[in-house]
Amino acid sequence: MMKNLSEVVLLLLLLFFSPYAQGTRYSPPEKPALTRCRSPEKETFTCWWEPGSDDGLPTTYALYYRKENSDTVYECPDYHTAGENSCFFNKNDTSIWVNYNITVAATNALGSTFSDPVDIDVVYIVKPNSPEEVVVTVMEDKGWPFLRASWEPPNKADTRSGWITLIYELRIRLDGEDDWEMHLAGQQKMFNIFSLRSGGTYHVQVRCKPDHGFWSEWSSTFNVKVPDYFHRKKSTWILITVFCAFIFLILTWLLHMNSHSLKHCILPPVPGPKIRGFDKQLLKSGKSEEIFSALVVSDFPPITSSNCEDFLVEYLEVYIPEEQELMLEESKDLHDNCLKSEGSTYDNDSGRGSCDSHTLLMDKCRRSKEEGRLTDQEESPIEAQRHQKKWNEGPLAYSHDDIVSPDTSSGRVKTWPSVFSPLPQYSSLNQMSSLEKVKQHCLSDSLFPPSSSSSYLTQPGHDNNKEALGASYWDKQHRSLHPQTQALWQIQAHSEVNISNVGRKQAPVDLQPLALRPTEYVEVQRINEEDMVLLQPVMSDCGAGCPRPRQEDDYSKVQGVNNDNMLLLQREVAGHKAERCPCEDQEMNGAMDSCVLSSIVTQKPTACIDTGTPARDDTALAVSGYVDTATIFTTY
Amino acid sequence: MNRVILLLSVMCVGVSSQPITENQRLFSIAVGRVQYLHLVAKKLFSDFENSLQLEDQRLLNKIASKEFCHSDNFLSPIDKHETQGSSVQKLLSVSYRLIESWEFFSRFLVASFAVRTQVTSKLSELKMGLLKLIEVRTHRHSLDLTNQNSCLTDHLTLQANQDGAGGFSESSVLQLTPYGNSELFACFKKDMHKVETYLTVAKCRLFPEANCTL
Repeated sequence: MMKNLSEVVLLLLLLFFSPYAQGTRYSPPEKPALTRCRSPEKETFTCWWEPGSDDGLPTTYALYYRKENSDTVYECPDYHTAGENSCFFNKNDTSIWVNYNITVAATNALGSTFSDPVDIDVVYIVKPNSPEEVVVTVMEDKGWPFLRASWEPPNKADTRSGWITLIYELRIRLDGEDDWEMHLAGQQKMFNIFSLRSGGTYHVQVRCKPDHGFWSEWSSTFNVKVPDYFHRKKSTWILITVFCAFIFLILTWLLHMNSHSLKHCILPPVPGPKIRGFDKQLLKSGKSEEIFSALVVSDFPPITSSNCEDFLVEYLEVYIPEEQELMLEESKDLHDNCLKSEGSTYDNDSGRGSCDSHTLLMDKCRRSKEEGRLTDQEESPIEAQRHQKKWNEGPLAYSHDDIVSPDTSSGRVKTWPSVFSPLPQYSSLNQMSSLEKVKQHCLSDSLFPPSSSSSYLTQPGHDNNKEALGASYWDKQHRSLHPQTQALWQIQAHSEVNISNVGRKQAPVDLQPLALRPTEYVEVQRINEEDMVLLQPVMSDCGAGCPRPRQEDDYSKVQGVNNDNMLLLQREVAGHKAERCPCEDQEMNGAMDSCVLSSIVTQKPTACIDTGTPARDDTALAVSGYVDTATIFTTY
Repeated sequence: MNRVILLLSVMCVGVSSQPITENQRLFSIAVGRVQYLHLVAKKLFSDFENSLQLEDQRLLNKIASKEFCHSDNFLSPIDKHETQGSSVQKLLSVSYRLIESWEFFSRFLVASFAVRTQVTSKLSELKMGLLKLIEVRTHRHSLDLTNQNSCLTDHLTLQANQDGAGGFSESSVLQLTPYGNSELFACFKKDMHKVETYLTVAKCRLFPEANCTL
């Protein structure tokens, strides 16, 4: 009984445990899987599968395939050629452009399991073998080496008949580096590699691919060593290059240091237009009309008070404090002459002169008076004085409103028009009458309005056409000329007096040419020992500012006016200037305190006067006198 | 007399050599054209496959296993042995028929209008080129030009009939239409590769020096 019980228990135990001991037996094999199928040359192909987990039970695998459009199932013809878990299809079993449906079945004692089917077309699973006979040789090209790699297609690939078209790829690596350099070689079986490092060792590999397929594996590596080539040449070139670079650096540094001087040497600065008052921007704009108008319009010559003073002062200012003061404004004419422009400014202090000038006028008056006294042929100085006074009155009545630039308005109007050209005629006439006429003329033209002058004109009674003309001319001049010219006339009147005096001495033949000409100028030649202003005509063809002959002492420049209101004339002796000779006219002091005459009348036997009173003075008498009052303005 | 014969032979060689050169050029052009068409077919097929979803792809695979192309009726060499055993003339004629059929079916390809028209035009050009090549080859074997042309077309038609329905039967078209897209793309791709292979083999056989044995 006990034995039976133990046996039953053992049996039961065995029964219970037996399934555990042989668990796999009860399950069919796991599903295998086809991993890949490959054809090396498009003529055969092989498929591999992966078996499932094996429970220990012997499992057999079988591959079944079916061609398209056919339901016949075939089994793998060859399980061994390609190795474990593979199926090899030989040429006879391989059809191109035909779809294969392949399945692998795993079978064990308990059952069989089929894998998932796979459709393949042999054409699209071609993966050739690696190229063979890869050979790399070192070749030379003009001293520079290069590598030539050559290979052969894989053995089985039939490229000759065109069944397979292969393209190749090459890769190269320098020994010691990790990066490969890829080169696509196309269908050729040879390839050149350049740009090698001398003395380096290279590794070369080749692979191929059909036009529609997979890349093959890389071929075996071919090692090649590039020989050292021409170190000497390279080092020499390196030395030369370094040397040149060094020199270049030095040159650059030198250039940098001397950049300024070089700049001036090579590219001298272009001087820009330096016309005062001229806008350079006009030049840049490039409009010629604007430029020209700017040149004309701009204030040229430049005006400053000093420049203005340098310029000719046309008129002298004769100041008579006790009599009516001649408040003469500066004539615009002066400025016109000075500036040659319109609308330039001028100060009232400068420009006084000519007939309206205090100083010169009085000087002339005094002189004329003196001369009148001296010669005894003139009327009494009193009369002259009276006339002078009258003359002095004239400017007062004068208005400066209608200032018209004289006909002689030009840059340097230093001479007064010889409106007295007809006067020489009077030299032959009665002196008295001439003097009167002169005075009258002067008066009429300069001091009084034209209307009043006519009365004077009638006085002479000389129906000299010329005289009338002259008078009328003076009349015109009177209207046309500036008040500054009054002094001119007055002085000229004086000079006329002189002339008339002198004219008796000589035949004023040379004065004949001085016919009635609109503008004829005379200038002070010198002062004779008798304190007479000797005048001479300006060159006829010369305009204003013509250089005068320097054969005599030149007293035509007023150097200045001193504190005593004396006009200081400057004597220039044949090229060099004399010193200032302040002189006084004591005689005139009584009448006019501020009447200043300088150097024209002097009682001091200084060197200013006299030296040089050659006989020329007789012939050199001019019709009118001229004094450059420019220097006066400097002191003003 | 000898000189005359010599001259004539030289002229004949010259005349004959010229068509060979021209032939080679035409072959090269044809091969190039078909290679391009094959690439286009591949691209179209891959684009179509990618556009499908996963489930559709499984369905496609199932269908594809049962697919058949209209060109399956054509008796074309299907392996290397057969291909290399075929004459150049046969290869050319098969290629011509394939191209001709696809010239008709390419209009059903699911692609942009531009691609479709381009493919159709290329196929037409290739067809003309193949016809020219066939004519040249037949002309070389025969002296009568006019007869050869008519003979050629008759021969081609006869072959088509032998292959069975010429592949243009309504049934085949109807069968294609439900799976028109995928089958068309697959068949087009396959057929283009066929023609490419045939032409390459023919060219290498005729002109071995041209990229075949380097």
